[in-house]
Order: sequence, then structure tokens, then C-alpha cells
Amino acid sequence: MSKEVPLGAVTAETGGAVRKHHRIGLPAILAAFFWLGVTSFGGNTAAWLYHRIVQRRHWITDAEFLSGVALSRIMPGSGGVNLTVQVGQRLGGGAGAVAAVTGLLSGPLVIVVALAMAYARIGSSPAVNAGLDGIAAAAIGLTFATGLQLLPSGSRRLGPLTITLMTVLCVGVLRWPMLPVMLCLAPISVGLALAQPRSGR
Amino acid sequence: MPDDFRTLLSLVLVFVPLSLLSIGGGASLLADMEHQSVGVHGWTTPREFADLFAISRAAPGPGTMLAALIGWKATGWAGAVTATVALYLPSSLVVYGAARLWGRWRGSVWHTAVERGLAPVAAGLLLSGGIAVLRVSPGGPAVWASAIIATVLLLRWPRLHPVVLFAAGGALFGLAALW
Repeated sequence: MSKEVPLGAVTAETGGAVRKHHRIGLPAILAAFFWLGVTSFGGNTAAWLYHRIVQRRHWITDAEFLSGVALSRIMPGSGGVNLTVQVGQRLGGGAGAVAAVTGLLSGPLVIVVALAMAYARIGSSPAVNAGLDGIAAAAIGLTFATGLQLLPSGSRRLGPLTITLMTVLCVGVLRWPMLPVMLCLAPISVGLALAQPRSGR
Repeated sequence: MPDDFRTLLSLVLVFVPLSLLSIGGGASLLADMEHQSVGVHGWTTPREFADLFAISRAAPGPGTMLAALIGWKATGWAGAVTATVALYLPSSLVVYGAARLWGRWRGSVWHTAVERGLAPVAAGLLLSGGIAVLRVSPGGPAVWASAIIATVLLLRWPRLHPVVLFAAGGALFGLAALW
């Protein structure tokens, strides 16, 4: 698993093997998550976090990111904030979690109230609303690209890929409640992982 | 200012339970927030609530930043901060505890198996999230087409900065509406 990969060539497949875990300084965590917060439009914090924290900085591995996503969805609270708590905890313990969440939420808090104040003065305009649709479209694209980059890979991926497709079908297309679907599919998927040690991700 | 203090207290009492009950995302939360802030406490009118919801969707950050706006409407900046902390702190503490517990077993066989087993489910959840946002988006076919174009661009050039795409999408749609 520990083959050398040139930094520019890091992909979803190789990312996990590139960098061993190390503690990140609190100011760096705070700054990284502040930018994440003020630029994550359309409620796509997880996709944005993958792009900036996993793909660019390699602070955590693909596997850690994905298990964080799964845990963030079955826990109470906002998925993006929950994921941020876990990543912050992984990077810098309790202080890291506080720094990450503070960074993530402080910018949007100020921006959202400022927008409400501006809205009270000038009201909304059709052009601004349309512009927001355009930003939302790009944000959805980022989410799709992230999901597709993280599709199961490796030699024996048929089983995991089926699990992913089943999840998309049940939760995304048929809109079944997420929790029962996860409670059903996750054990099967873990069983598959146990039966096929070290294939793909 | 005892009145302000009382409002802050009721914000805490409204949002702390919501924080712990909101498993599975913000959609179920929205109905409760609406009920509490319009019906029970009268912090906003129905019309104001709809406006605040639209504003919260336009701003960056988690969709549930609507809570901050309700707090702001109720009693200014102190309310905004109080509502935000009340909504995110309790659930974050639960998740933090779970993450620490989970990290303790790092390296064990079953930890690795669970992590690998959750990965395909999580990838499916991410894709489903994109579909869900697409479904509620008011923009119609233009948004669908642009989302697909953005997806292809990002897959083809992974080093492309998403902010470039956000700016391009916003400018394109904004100008099209003016025209």
C-alpha cells in the first residue's frame, strides 16, 4: 500500500497511501475551515471538504473521509458540521475540532446576517436570484464529481459498486428514508469488506 | 435587559432539542423551525420566515444557518450567535464523543473492515445528496444542464478551482436573467 506517488498524480485511488497522519497546527486548521465555510455554497460542505482538505492538502485519507461522511449522516445535526467535527478531531484533538467548527461557521454566520440586512434594504432582484441558481448548479456539479471520484475502485469492485448504486437508487432516486437504508446496506457492505481483505479501497 | 435575556433563553430551549433530534439532515428540521419561530414564539411572520429561508440558501455554509437568521430576527447579533451555538454544539459534542471512541480502535481488523465497508455507502450518499439538491432547485433544465457540465469539467480537470466554476455559473445565469 505504501508505494511512492508523485504529488501531482494523487488521485482518489492513491490518496490514501500518500501521507501518514500527522498533527496540523491550530491556526492552519482554523484558516482552512474558514475558507471552506465562506466558499461552500449550496450545502455541499462534504464535497468541498474533500476537494480542499483531502485532495489538495492530504490531511486525511479517502477512507477516513468516507467513514466520516457515513458517521456524519447517522448522527444528529448537520452533516457538514458533523464531518468537520470529526476531521478537526482527527487533525488536532479537541482543540482541533473546536478550531475547525469555529472556522467553518464564523464566516457564514456573519455573511448570512449581512445578507439579511441588505435584503431588508434593497429586496431581491431577479438577476441576483438567477445568479444564485448558477452558483447552485456549479455546487451540485462539485458534489457529483466528488461522488464519482470516490466510486469503489480496484480489482474486485463489483460488490462495493453494487452497494453504491443501491444507495443512490434507494436514497437519491426513490427517496426512501436514509437511516433504514443505511442500516440495511452498511452491514452487507462491511461483510463484503471482511470477505475480501485488501481488494481495492 | 431581562427581556433580551429571556428571548436568548427561549432560543436555547428551542434549538438545543432540535440539534439532538435532527438525524438525517435539515429537511425535517425546517418544519420544526417554522413551527417554533412563526407559530409558538412569533419571532418571524410566515412571509419573513420564507424570506429568511431563501437568504440562508443564498449564503455559503451549512443550510441550517437559517437558525442564525431566526435568532437575529428575534434579538439581534446576540440571538444569531446564541441560536447557532445552541443548534450546533449539542450534536457536535455527540459526534465528537463518537469520533474519539471510533478512533480508539484505529488499526484493528474490524475498524478497517467497517471503514472499507462504509466507503461505498458514503459515496452513494454523496451522489444522492447532489440529486436531492437538484430536485428542489427552482432553476429547471438550465440548472440540470449546468450541473452536468460542471461535473464533467471537474472530473476532466480535478485541479480546477471550484470557485472559478461558482463565479462562472453565477455570472452566466445572472446575465441571462438581465437579458
